[in-house]
Order: sequence, then C-alpha cells, then structure tokens
Amino acid sequence: MKQALILIPLLALPLVLNDFWLTQVATRSLILGVMALSLSFLATYLGVVSFAQATMAGIAGYTIAYFGPNTVGVGTPLPFWVTIPMALIFATLSGALVGLIARRSRGIYAIMITLAIGVAFFYFTRQNYTLFNGWTGFSGVRAPEVAGVSLRNPLLLYLLSLSTAGIALALVSGFVRSPLGLTIQAVRDAPGRVLALGISVTTPIVAAFAFSGLLAGAGGILNVWYQERISSFSVGLGPIIDILIISVIGGLRHPGGAFVGAVVFVLLDTFAVDLIDRERFNTLIGVVLLLIVIVAPGGLQQLAQDWAARLRSPQAKPKQASEHS
Amino acid sequence: MPVNHSHTNANALEVRGVGKRFGGFWAVQGIDLTVRPGERRAILGPNGAGKTSLFNVLTGDTSATTGSITLFGDSVTRKPINKRIQRGLRRTYQHAHLFNGLTVRDTLFLAVAGVRGGWLQVLPLRASDERMTEAERLAEIAGVTDVLDRETSELSHGQRRQLEIGIALAENPKVLLLDEPAAGLSPAERPKLSALLMSLPKDVTVVLIEHDMDIALQTSESVSVLYNGRMLAEGSPDEIMRNEEVHRVYIGGAHGH
Repeated sequence: MKQALILIPLLALPLVLNDFWLTQVATRSLILGVMALSLSFLATYLGVVSFAQATMAGIAGYTIAYFGPNTVGVGTPLPFWVTIPMALIFATLSGALVGLIARRSRGIYAIMITLAIGVAFFYFTRQNYTLFNGWTGFSGVRAPEVAGVSLRNPLLLYLLSLSTAGIALALVSGFVRSPLGLTIQAVRDAPGRVLALGISVTTPIVAAFAFSGLLAGAGGILNVWYQERISSFSVGLGPIIDILIISVIGGLRHPGGAFVGAVVFVLLDTFAVDLIDRERFNTLIGVVLLLIVIVAPGGLQQLAQDWAARLRSPQAKPKQASEHS
Repeated sequence: MPVNHSHTNANALEVRGVGKRFGGFWAVQGIDLTVRPGERRAILGPNGAGKTSLFNVLTGDTSATTGSITLFGDSVTRKPINKRIQRGLRRTYQHAHLFNGLTVRDTLFLAVAGVRGGWLQVLPLRASDERMTEAERLAEIAGVTDVLDRETSELSHGQRRQLEIGIALAENPKVLLLDEPAAGLSPAERPKLSALLMSLPKDVTVVLIEHDMDIALQTSESVSVLYNGRMLAEGSPDEIMRNEEVHRVYIGGAHGH
C-alpha cells in the first residue's frame, strides 16, 4: 500500500505541468511504461525476454483503429465499449498464441522466436490492405468522447494513462501472488520440478504470455489514441527495441522499473535534440543503455532501491567511513 | 483427490519386467519388484546401478521402454506424472531442484495444489486458503516452520532436504519414493532426517534409495540390490548381508574405494 502514496504527487502533476509536458512527457511515459511493464512482467516472473510485446500492443491498436473512427475509410466502426474489450481480448489471445509458439524456448531462443514473430507481423501489416491498410496504416484515429469531451484531451488522457498504469501494476502484484502466478514463477525456477509436482508447464507459460498480452494491449490502446494513428512502423523493429531499452533501463527485476525506464527514455527522446543533434538520439540512448548495463545491471529501479536501503541503515555509513580511514 | 481402492489386497507397487533404454544403453532391464502396502523397502546398489533410473520410470519422469507398473492394482505404466501423483505416489529427488525465487510456504503450497488442483486460479491467495493450512502442516512435519517465509535459495542443504520430504508428503501419499534423502548431509543433520523418516505414518509404503548401508539396513524390512541395471538380489537385511554375490559387487566394492 506504501506504493499507492506515489499516486498523490502524480495526481497533482497536471496542476504544475503545461500541456506539452503533460502530454509529450508524462502521458507518453505512462503509455510506454505500460507496454514495457508487459515485458518486465515476463522477464521478472517467467524469466523470458520477449520481443513480441510491440506486436501484442499493435494488435490492440489496430483493433481500435479498424473498428473505430478513422480517416482512411477502412474497417467497420463499432461503439467504443465494444472495441475496447475486443482490443484487449485480441491482444490477450495474441499473447497466448506467442506463448504457445515460444513455450519450449528459453534465453536466446525465446528472443529469436519472438523477434521472428514481431518482424513477421511487421511485414504482414505492410502487405495486407484489407485489415491493416498496408504500410500507410490508419490515420485520424479518434479517442472516444465521454460527455462531449474527447479522451484525447491532455488532462483526460493523462488521468486515463495514470489509472491504467496504476491498475496494471496492481494487477501484476496481485497476479504474482495468485496460485497461477506462483506456478509461473516456479516454472521460471525449475520447470522440470513443476511437472514432477503434477502441474502442467505449458499452461502457466501460455497464461503468462496471455497476461503480458493484456498489459501490452492496454498500452497499445492508449498509444493509438495518443498517436491518433497506427501503421506498420508502430509494430516495427523501432518500437520493439524501444520497449526493450525502456525495460532494461528501468530494470527487469521489478515491474515498477518499467515506468522509471520510460520516463528516462522519453526525456532523452524529447530533449536529445537540445543536447545533441537529432540524428544522434540512437547514440545517446545507446550510451545510456551501456552505462546502465555496466554500472547498474539491475536497472535504475534497483539502483534507487540500493541507495534507499543504504540511506535507511545508518550503520552502513560509519562502517564505510572506518573502512576508508 | 480421493482414490477408490477396489483392490484393497493388491500390492502397493508391482513392477514386472521394467526396462529403460537410452539409445543403445539399458539403464535398467527386466526389473521385477513387489512392495506390499506399508512395507519399508531399501534399494541398494553401487553408482550407476540404475536406482534413480528405476525411480524415474516408476514416477513417470521418464517412460518405461518395456514392462508394466501397477499401483494398488491400477496400471500406471502409460499414465502421466500427475495421474500417478493423484493415485498417491510421491518422490523426492537426489539433487533438489527447488524453486529458488519462491518461499518455503509457496513451494509447499504448490506441492499441495499439484495434488489437489486449483493452481490455475488467478486471484491472490488468501492466508485462510485450506491448501495454505495444509502447506503449513507439511512444514511442521518436515521441520521447516521457522524458515516458512524464507526463499528456498537461502536454505541450508539440510533444510532443502527436509523441504524435499515436506513436498513429497503433500496430501497424504500412499507410496513414497525417497532418492538418497540423507545424501550430503553433515553428521549433525543426519539424526534429524532419520527421525523424520522414522516418524512417517506406518501405513505409508516407503521405497528408499540409500548409499549408506547402515541407515538402509536399519530403517528397512526388506532390501533389493541393483547391479548394472538388473536386480541382483532381494531379501531381508540379514539375508542381503550374508549374500556372497552382494558382498562381491557392492559391499566388497565399497571397501575397495
């Protein structure tokens, strides 16, 4: 419950930030954070790094675009209370499917198989016009209106993203304490032993991927409302790597790290142009990533926790001082 | 899960002509083994004799190449692990692969859920959950109550062995296969484990692989000796002690180290 205290300053954020900061930095961080959370969840609790999270997010985004108002004239508009659950279900199912395909793979093989799925989906969206409208994709995607106000309104989209992020984190922390969540962690530690207990290994793996698909899907819905468009570039190698970078910066050992990573990523992405040439963003993020991997392999979240622990235990300091003297 | 034993007079475990082949190598071959309900049976044999391979076939960790396995009169030869567990068969492993990121409590909970089911539930576990109460009972029997909320990666070797037995005791097993439960224990830890083994309910059938001749002969009513994947001799501890062939391949060999 202590974690819930962080909500208070976050709820007050719109009072101090202008629309640029609120939308371009805060909301975008939250949306990317939710997508990265789907990866951090898999990495932390199933021990698998998946490159297909942008694909699951994209499937939710494309569902919203196809079945919602857009300006390219493709798809069938349906009311948003139909499309939103539908997008989440499709994303969850896509996650389950990825899990089913990758269920026997670990480490580098899981990465290769999920990357192959991600890239295959990218090319599929470029070549399919009936569902995905080819490489141009969908533009003019509008967020639903509630009482005449669009959810794309900076304040509303921020609050919606904030609550989605909060719910996603609460879901993760509840889920990992459930029998299925414990089974998933047991599969991470010793899959053979899980079988020996009389429990299936495939089902927990598929369930973990499905759950990560749900999280990614929630991020994907927010993202398509935020961007107001979606195309093959939204599910290409770029976003795939962005999600990975965010998760690694934040730390793959704790789900909350995804949001820390997202804030750092978005700040760098937004202000790199002021620091160095726009073209050099990849260099900058690469250097940051390298520093994180070398200095804080547990990510910024872990680094902050270590510092906090050091500050909390006053004995540690004099001890260190005496060691140096 | 309640199991209806229509064959109350049936043997706890009946193994006929069981063999396991890996490529061109028979790990065990032509094994016959009959264990009565409530019997304490030790399986002896030098390294590589096929003791663990036999256990793996009995529990379903690997499938038998030949032969049949019957549990209380029900054939389980082609049944998966979970079906055998539900019929009351449990085992411990010689090399404990535990869930390092989980606590002792959660590990025992999963052992219970493996038998009783319900591991697919997605709502957070409540402390009042019956399966959790059962997990705590197991921890008490296994003597790991004081480390209930520690991660298993923090346990000592002895505590890990005790937890192994706690896992195997989930939901009242009928046949317990113990694979060298005392292996690697310090002299101080051994009596604790022996006491734990001795305190097992008398109606539980126990098949024990043990390297330590003294422990094996003390705790068991009957002994089977495996050698090169075949059953070499069977009998009471006294008979086995007097068996010249056993002396030659095993006891004599052990002295030769």
